[in-house]
Formats: sequence, structure tokens, C-alpha cells
Amino acid sequence: MIRLALTIAAKDLRAELRSRTALVTALAFAALVLVLFEFARDPTRLTAALLAPSAVWITGTFAATLTLGRAFSTEQDHHAMDGLLLAPVPREAIFIGKWLGALAFALAIDVLIVPLAVLFFNLRMTAEALAGIALVLVLAKVGFTAVGTVFSALVAKLRSKELLLPLLVLPFLVPPLIGGVQATARLLDGQPLSDVSGWLRLLLAYDLVFVVGGLLVFPRLLDE
Amino acid sequence: MTPPPDNGAYMIAAYAITGVILLVYGWSLWRRGAAAMKDDSAPH
Amino acid sequence: MSNLEQARALVKRGQVMTVIAVTAIALCAVRALLFTPVERFQGPAQKIFYLHVPAAWSAFLAFGLVGIVSGLYLWLDDRRLDLFAEASAETGTILTAIVLITGPIWGKPIWGAWWVWDARLTSTLFLFFIFIGYHSLRAAVHDPQDRARFSAVLGILGAMLIPFIHLTVYLFRTQHPMPVVARPEGPTLPGVMLLTLLLSLGAFTLLYLGWTTLRYGIGRVREAREELHDATA
Repeated sequence: MIRLALTIAAKDLRAELRSRTALVTALAFAALVLVLFEFARDPTRLTAALLAPSAVWITGTFAATLTLGRAFSTEQDHHAMDGLLLAPVPREAIFIGKWLGALAFALAIDVLIVPLAVLFFNLRMTAEALAGIALVLVLAKVGFTAVGTVFSALVAKLRSKELLLPLLVLPFLVPPLIGGVQATARLLDGQPLSDVSGWLRLLLAYDLVFVVGGLLVFPRLLDE
Repeated sequence: MTPPPDNGAYMIAAYAITGVILLVYGWSLWRRGAAAMKDDSAPH
Repeated sequence: MSNLEQARALVKRGQVMTVIAVTAIALCAVRALLFTPVERFQGPAQKIFYLHVPAAWSAFLAFGLVGIVSGLYLWLDDRRLDLFAEASAETGTILTAIVLITGPIWGKPIWGAWWVWDARLTSTLFLFFIFIGYHSLRAAVHDPQDRARFSAVLGILGAMLIPFIHLTVYLFRTQHPMPVVARPEGPTLPGVMLLTLLLSLGAFTLLYLGWTTLRYGIGRVREAREELHDATA
């Protein structure tokens, strides 16, 4: 089943990379939003370094939320969903495949955003801090994209999906966001990874609950 | 001994607003309930 | 008994329970306002407590039931479970609104701030967001089967989210000491106040049950009528 899931994820990713527009658009959007944060702050009251964790996380999350809508839109547009369901693929594999695809996309955005933030906000980033932040980003995005994949499938057939998807998904974003920003701020400040272990445990718990939860409910979404 | 603070206005506001909400929603629900109990044999 | 008769029986029961509950609430309000002592240091505004806490308890009860019933629906596929969740979500939203409105009105005189991001209020706010999302979703889905399934997914995932919100905000606040939201009543509540609180809790719980039964009955009647309509069409 893992192989099936990876095949689905690989298929989605290859399709995106081939067209390239989706990824580039998402990256450009994310970069632009990050830049907006610089212009949205009062430099006399708020240093760039203080704003940076919030900027990185809000940008990464909004961009990821927008790309989540695409997870099932290709199938929707080409009525390929029926084909996918008819194939002897367990639905859990479809979930894992879509989820991993969304995760890869979200992390690709982060891979761009973090160096840009270091550049634009003049951050002092040590190797330890970077490694820690990378871990935090992965942990947070794992849970977030799992939830996002469920809701993306849910709204796929609906006309108001562009509005509905963020409304439904953003509340679920809040625990990883709080944990992510708090951990990132501390790591940027030079604190060791052990100091943020509490937040890491929270992120991990969230991931477990919502990946398992997603796996359990997703198959029911695809019922006809 | 200092008397308790004079903030009764907040209390009245809270009780009044809650009462209004309970009344408005309660009435809406009641009206819908009455409509459900009406015996309309003709399908609509 | 036909579905329609069953449904109408529910409406009737809901109506009776609601009337009793409303009476109970009115009596509790009288007791709270006139027959419960004014708290020495907080003044009359403290009495909002007898509305806010019972409403919060009922709102979370409503939400918890939406979560459980949603899970049951995904497992058992019984339409009635969906109709119950729909009813509990509606009544829960109203109760949550009461909590969110009485919260600031109570907070301003007692804590000095209209709003604080403590774990309980924040969780209640997100409860409200999930409820709104639930209603928006139901309104956007036309096929009843899809609507039931999709709402159930939101219901159960939402129920799993709220404890995380509570925990996360709590952890956040222990790391960022803010003006402590003191328990206004101190370590113990005097007997007469405790009784008022307990009676109000009972009254609000009864109100939730009455409203929800009534609303559930209304949904069941609608469903039964549609069945009859389809059968005769």
C-alpha cells in the first residue's frame, strides 16, 4: 500500500513539475506575501527579527492553504476521480498519496521562504537553528496537510470551494501555528532544541491524531 | 468597609441580551415546531 | 408508528421540555438577581457568572454531542444521527453566541479587559468558528447523503481540534505570563452561590435538551414529509 501511495504522490508531483506553473506561481505568491510583511510593519516599533517567525509561518501557511485546493482539482476537472476509485487502490492509499503530495508542496514553499526571510529580515541563522526550524516546519506541515487533504477532498465537488476550504481548514491550523511560531522564535533567538521540546511534543501529538483521523474518515468521503 | 463596585449596568446588559437571544431563538424554534405539527395532507 | 408520527412526537416532547426549561431559567434568573448575595469585591457584575458558565457548559455539551454523533454516523450511516447533529449544531451555536457575548460583558468590569486570550475563551471562539463552518458547509451541499457525510467529517475532526486549541493556548500562556485571569470566586464558592450556579447549570442543560429535541423533531418531520412526497409523486 505504501508503494501505491507513493505512486499516487509521485504522479501528482510529476504532473505539477511538468506544468511548472503551479509551483512557480505558489512560490512567487509566497515570496510576495513575505515581502508584504516588511511593508506592513512599523520599523520604529517592531524589529524585523521579532516579526520574522510570524511572517514565515503565516506566509507558508496561507500559501499552503491555497495550494491545497489543487489536490483534487485535476481529478475533478477531468472526471478522473471515477477512474481512480474504480482502480483496485485502497482509499487509504489515495489519502496518503494526496497528503504526501500536499506536504511536498508545502515544504517546497518553506524551502524558499526561510532563506528569503533570512535575507529580507537580516536574520542571524546558525546551522543548529536552521536544523531545528526545519524540523519544526516538517512536524507542523505534516499535520496541517493531513487535515487539509481531508477538507480538500470534501469541498472538491462544491461550487463555493475557494471560500469554503480556507474557512474550514484555518481553525485547524492554529495549534501547529502557535507551536511553530513559538518554537521558531526561540530557535532563532539561539535557544537549543531541547528548550522547545514541549512544543515539538505538541506538534507530534497533533500529527498523530490528525493523520490517523484523516486516514479513518477519508475513505467515507469518497463514497458515492 | 468599602461598598461593592457599582457595576450593575453590566449585569443588566448581560441578562437583557441573553434574554433577548433566548426569546428570539426560542420563538423561531417554536414557530417552526408549530409548522411541523400542522397537519397538511397535501404534499408541497 | 410512522416516521412522521415519531417525528411529531419528538417535536411535542421538545416543546414541553423547552417550556419547562424556560421557566426554570426564568426562576434561576430571579434567584440569581434578587436572592443571591452580591459578591463583596466584584459587585453585581459577578452575577453574569450564573449565565456565562451554564451557557458554556451547554455549548460544549452540544459540540461534544455533535462530535460523537458525527462519528457514529460515519460508522452506522443512519440518517437520524445526521439530523440530530444538525439540531445540536444549531442550538450549540446559539449557546456559544451567548457565551461569547456574556464573556466580554463580564470581563470588562471583573478583569478590566473586554477580551483575554485565555484557554477557555479562545476555545469557545474556535467552537463558534467550527459551528459557523458546519452551517456554511451544510448550506453549500445539496445532496443529502453528501451533506450528512461531509458534515460528519467536519463534526468529528472539529471535536478533535478543540482540546488541542485549549491545550495549545494553555501552554502558550504558561510560557507567557499575562495578567492572571483570577478565578473570580476564590478557592471556594459560598453555599448559596454554589446552589444558584448548580440550579442554573441544570436549567441550561434542560434548555439545550429541550431545544435540541424540538429542533431534531423539526428535522425529522421535514424528512418524513419529503419521504411521503417522494412516495406519492
